[in-house]
Amino acid sequence: MDAQRAVLHADLDAFFAAAEVRRRPELAGKPLIVGGRPGGRGVVSSASYEARRYGIRSGMPIRQAERLCPQAVFLPVDFAYYRELAAQFRAILSDLSSLVEHLSIDEACLELGPAPRWPEEPAAAGRRLRQRVRAELGLSVTVGIATNRTVAKVAADLAKPDGLRLIPPGQEATFLAPLPVDYLPGIGPNAARRLRELGVRTLGQLAQIPPYWLRVVFGRRAEEVHQRAQGIDPRPVTPEERAPKSIGHERTFHRDLSERSEIRQALRELSEKTAREMRLEGLQGQVVSVKVRFDDFTTLGRQRRLARPTIDGREIAEAAVGLAFELLDEWRRPVRLLGVRVSGLAPLAVQLALFDPRPLRALLLLRALDRLAARRDAAGASSRRPGTALGYPVGPARLLVSALERR
Amino acid sequence: MQVTCQQGELHRALAHVSRAVARKSTLPVLSNVLLSAQEGQLRLAATNLEIAIAASLPARVAEAGQLTVRADLLTEFISSLPSDEVTLRIEPGSLTLAVSCSYSKANIKGIPAEDFPTLPEIGEQTPTARIESGLLREMIGQVAFAAATDDSRPVLAGVLVEFQGSTLTMAAADGFRLSVRSAELDEPVAEDLSIIVPARALQELARSMADAEGTIDLLVTPTRSQLLARSGPVEFLSRLIDGHFPEFRQIIPKTYNTRVVVSREAFLAAARRAKIFAQSNNEVVRLQLLPGDSELDPGAVIVSAQAAEAGDNEDLLSARVEGPKAQIAFNGRYLSDVLSVMKSAEVALEMTSPNAAGVFRPVGDTTFTHVIMPMVIGNI
Repeated sequence: MDAQRAVLHADLDAFFAAAEVRRRPELAGKPLIVGGRPGGRGVVSSASYEARRYGIRSGMPIRQAERLCPQAVFLPVDFAYYRELAAQFRAILSDLSSLVEHLSIDEACLELGPAPRWPEEPAAAGRRLRQRVRAELGLSVTVGIATNRTVAKVAADLAKPDGLRLIPPGQEATFLAPLPVDYLPGIGPNAARRLRELGVRTLGQLAQIPPYWLRVVFGRRAEEVHQRAQGIDPRPVTPEERAPKSIGHERTFHRDLSERSEIRQALRELSEKTAREMRLEGLQGQVVSVKVRFDDFTTLGRQRRLARPTIDGREIAEAAVGLAFELLDEWRRPVRLLGVRVSGLAPLAVQLALFDPRPLRALLLLRALDRLAARRDAAGASSRRPGTALGYPVGPARLLVSALERR
Repeated sequence: MQVTCQQGELHRALAHVSRAVARKSTLPVLSNVLLSAQEGQLRLAATNLEIAIAASLPARVAEAGQLTVRADLLTEFISSLPSDEVTLRIEPGSLTLAVSCSYSKANIKGIPAEDFPTLPEIGEQTPTARIESGLLREMIGQVAFAAATDDSRPVLAGVLVEFQGSTLTMAAADGFRLSVRSAELDEPVAEDLSIIVPARALQELARSMADAEGTIDLLVTPTRSQLLARSGPVEFLSRLIDGHFPEFRQIIPKTYNTRVVVSREAFLAAARRAKIFAQSNNEVVRLQLLPGDSELDPGAVIVSAQAAEAGDNEDLLSARVEGPKAQIAFNGRYLSDVLSVMKSAEVALEMTSPNAAGVFRPVGDTTFTHVIMPMVIGNI
């Protein structure tokens, strides 16, 4: 038999909340909730383990979190700061292996060596990673190690927080067998409920029954799920492209929006924010999509390909408003959430023209605006005025924007 | 009409004029070639209303006359014939051309010559200018490629041809690059004038006179609506584009911060290599101009391209770099286009900033200037 692979799954513990504690140590030990503002209609992005004790989970509406734990500290999301930390986390991971697949901002899996010596080498790698993340980032990371991705991920989930769990070769099925079915990645609450109806509660039971039984629940995925439940998962770790596939922002409103003018304004703000992030990453994009959630939670999306790639928030907004209004014309309901997303991303490349100074002028203006916005961000939240969630139009930037609009 | 000529000469003349035959036209006569027999010669002409080409060949004319017949049929039949005498005959009052050669004959149905557009000829008129044919072809080759290939701004699909004293200047710009070439005429023109000739027509002119030797007569019609060119038995006509060509001299930068001199061949090879990777990244080819630190190390140019998913490449060229270190990005096609039409051993690139035009000049030759607008990329 070939040498056993070793896959390491690393997951930063309560990342956003931990990142906030890192820069404000006085928050340590307190229930901490990142995402939205109290009384608002946002959702929890991240909760510290102290907050989780009150039953608070990511994705839960802020209002519900407030009811569960009124004494919690609520903080807004600061993506720029988390991204910076995540980049350092990635750098540490890339020292450990050249085969790293980033699953999200705070989660990654990596392949250790061509023929690691089990269990000493993988265990040492896991310990080293945990030490470095603690020493260099001041954060805790949980590590799961196994012979494949699925088992490593489940091991990490069980070891949380601040733990390390290693499943030696040959023990995958035994390890998974007693666990409830929804511990397996890919089995959500709906599938778990339907499995219960079939009398299947544990992964061990799932592994026992013939795969064709599972077709009613998993369709074409039945075979795959059946294998995974036995601890078999041949998927390789595939390092993805560095460039993101899409960039976007969404926002849940304090009260549902019905006025077209308000919806247009919100989409403009989201578009500007998205465009600014694209420029920061040195990217241009060509496909604009919008997401609209109505008051009854019906969530719909539309997208459109622009004639040319863009980095301009106004062009993105124009497309987004058109798409959103199409949906509004069909549904005629108040809007709870709006999202704008740009895909078809490629490195920024603007061909300047001989007889037409506008492309260059627009580019220089956008860069000037980005610099102003960065300076304002650096000055801190105190100088942020109410009602200008939109990146720019404050003070001198307003003049530049109107100059841009006149072009 | 009755006329006799050599199969080889007739075939060559047909090949010349066929390039002006309309490919798809709603007017059937434009798919035809006009045959006119008179005074010891047979004249062939074709036009697509954009250009016209005429060619004459010596012939024994027994009876003068005219007719148009399908160019493709006649060309294909003539080319199939043996190298021998060919006789073309039209019975009075008939619209059928009888072709006979050796033991072969054919009857080709035609359209009356009166339906064919009237084409002006230089004839006995004094030409506007006279130019050596090789020089004219070189000028067209160095300029016409920079014209726009779409018609969104019609003047940019043309080449400005300027006669000023004894200087002939050609300029073309597609909106992103500008190519300018000038040459001295043997004799000054009687009156300064400038015209805009469709770039495709000029390229066709260069092709139709590809084997011409000696000089070419150029004539701008008095109404300034057509350009005629004549070289020996071949005459060429193009319509002109109406409008004002942009003030191209104003957009050629007069100063620079960094100037690099590099071997043209090495630069061209590097640009072509970079294009391989640039094609998956908006054609972006990046140039880094690095001044040297001593007489012994005059500097270098790095030509590179990268595509996130495909990979990247880099060429290091030794070069003489004056001025501060700089970088700039161009569309790789524009870069290889200009480097492949230049003739000099060394080329100079002058630039002021990554956001401003780059100027390409042959070293030791002031008759050619090429300007390319850069691409602004994220990491410059």
